[in-house]
Amino acid sequence: MALLKEPVQEIKTLQNYIGGEWVDSQSELADVTDPARCKPIARVPISTNDEVNSAIEAARLAFPEWRRTTPLTRSRLLFNLKELMEENFEKISRIQTQEHGKTIDESRGETRRGIENVEVACGIPTLLQGEYSEDVASGIDEWVIPSPLGVFGIISPFNFPWMIPLWSAPYAVATGNCIIIKPSSEVPLTQDFLGQLVEEAGFPPGVWNIVHGGRTVVNGLLDHPDIAGITFVGSTPTGRDVVYRRCGESGKRVLAQCGAKNFMTVMPDCDVDRTVAAMMTSFFGNAGQRCLAAANCVVAGADEAFYDMFVDKVVAAASNIRVGCGLDESTQMGPLRDASKKERVLGYIEQGLKDGARILLDGRSPEVAGGYPDTCFLGATVLEDVVPDSPVGSEEIFGPVMSIMRAGDLEEAIQITNANPFGNGHSIFTSSGANARNFQYNIESGNVGINIGIVAPMAFFPFSGMKDSFFGTLHTQGKEAIRFFTNSKVVIQRWF
Amino acid sequence: MRIHTSSEGVTLAKNLEIESAQFYEEMAKQHPEVADAFRAFASENQKNARHIERTYYSVITDAIESGYCLNLESDDFTFDATIQAFGTHEPAVTQATQIEQCILSFYTTAEAQMGALMADLTRAFGQQAKKRRKRLLTLSELLQPDASSAK
Repeated sequence: MALLKEPVQEIKTLQNYIGGEWVDSQSELADVTDPARCKPIARVPISTNDEVNSAIEAARLAFPEWRRTTPLTRSRLLFNLKELMEENFEKISRIQTQEHGKTIDESRGETRRGIENVEVACGIPTLLQGEYSEDVASGIDEWVIPSPLGVFGIISPFNFPWMIPLWSAPYAVATGNCIIIKPSSEVPLTQDFLGQLVEEAGFPPGVWNIVHGGRTVVNGLLDHPDIAGITFVGSTPTGRDVVYRRCGESGKRVLAQCGAKNFMTVMPDCDVDRTVAAMMTSFFGNAGQRCLAAANCVVAGADEAFYDMFVDKVVAAASNIRVGCGLDESTQMGPLRDASKKERVLGYIEQGLKDGARILLDGRSPEVAGGYPDTCFLGATVLEDVVPDSPVGSEEIFGPVMSIMRAGDLEEAIQITNANPFGNGHSIFTSSGANARNFQYNIESGNVGINIGIVAPMAFFPFSGMKDSFFGTLHTQGKEAIRFFTNSKVVIQRWF
Repeated sequence: MRIHTSSEGVTLAKNLEIESAQFYEEMAKQHPEVADAFRAFASENQKNARHIERTYYSVITDAIESGYCLNLESDDFTFDATIQAFGTHEPAVTQATQIEQCILSFYTTAEAQMGALMADLTRAFGQQAKKRRKRLLTLSELLQPDASSAK
């Protein structure tokens, strides 16, 4: 099958998109590298505080007119954007693969998921309808109007360069707000291309801004009084201790979708072959760099024959995973985003072995198809006898490592899972409705999978999360995002 | 070559449709007795390729098992699309039958392997398999005596 052509052929220095203009940054530049080939493909500015402030000012100035733009007009611009996204679907996907490393199937999936959020936001004329009650008392009417707040900051991580900003951005602008997106400086090209589509779609200047960079940009968004709120997706320490805390202190709205340690409970009555396939996607898809990736496999029950058979199948399937460049259609797992992330994962594997885990499949020195440098590549690793509260068993590794644990029964599996501080995407694989309902009822997880390995909600549902996986009240996507980006203005009316 | 991912499966499906479409177009020129049927097949194959691609792009997400949904040997699904001018239409129809059986085998095998893992794409492959079974019936009718320029 094909090695697809790289969409980025020349090294480009990215610009910020501020007030409808593409602006050269005056700041230092960092390299953006293709992790499969280990070569630079772009340079990204690490923008200054002044540059963030100018974007916020542009958004603030654009807000009054954008607020007065009818929801129907805003919807039509989103339809334009959706059309451009569809026309450029393959290019968008290949850019993601080139800068992130994920496989082309994974990138196309990400492109589709991002577009779905735009599709939902296109329904804003209906979604933004308030509620009206006539004669709450005789001659007195009352209604509630969802109204925009102003300017929002959207801070996004490296693992889904296209999709994650789109969990927020379409809803923010659809509801009449203006935004500043800070993409990850590791994977900025996709958002740069999205900015071009936004411009082509006809959004007025200042409504949708992009400022590249790092900590300075984040701090600028967190500290500026004209920022009404922040959506953040990233690690729990940053989300909880920096973003959520500082927004609370300054009165900004905030939602912080953070880290995870997802448990997959496997019951002996599961469909084994389909469960194994689902596990490959869940544990090793995106090279494990996903807040919905499964990390721990809890095999429930005392049936030793089932356990041995099941683990053998899992290890066999994982050992056959083809590791290589994501633009090769036959690749099943791409590289980690960069060498430092690979080193971090290796550290966890070594720690796990020191803590008594047995290694059933060693992915530390994988065979990489296509002759690419192995700098950022890992293969699938499977550990057995992992203790749930050990570092490997309890902390987010963010790499292609499966830790297998045992539980006496479903109740114990649920207890083990709930003891973990995270609550993002836990799953059960079973053919019993009773088991499934018990799991769904008792598990502490924002997203729950029943025979589903990656519990990614569709755009018209909230992307939920609990415990140390989420800080805030309302989540991204769907109707909760609409509520996050609007105030409820209640009007009570009487005429004399 | 072993294929495992949905991207590979979709590429293979499209190649099968397009290569067989080219066969039908060329054979229609050689055999006017079955030209109408063959041109219709060619046109339908182009639509099939677009339908498969559109379905894939509509359903693909990282939440389905796109990287692990197949275990096929692509060499098992090759066919002879050599264009020859036969004296009568029967050998052309026989060759077409073999092509369709190959394509049917691909779709049924891929559909069974993907099962519930690939949602709409599995269904699309099943729909194509159903079309191929109908087409095989049409081809067998073309081999009947007095069956010329069939629909």
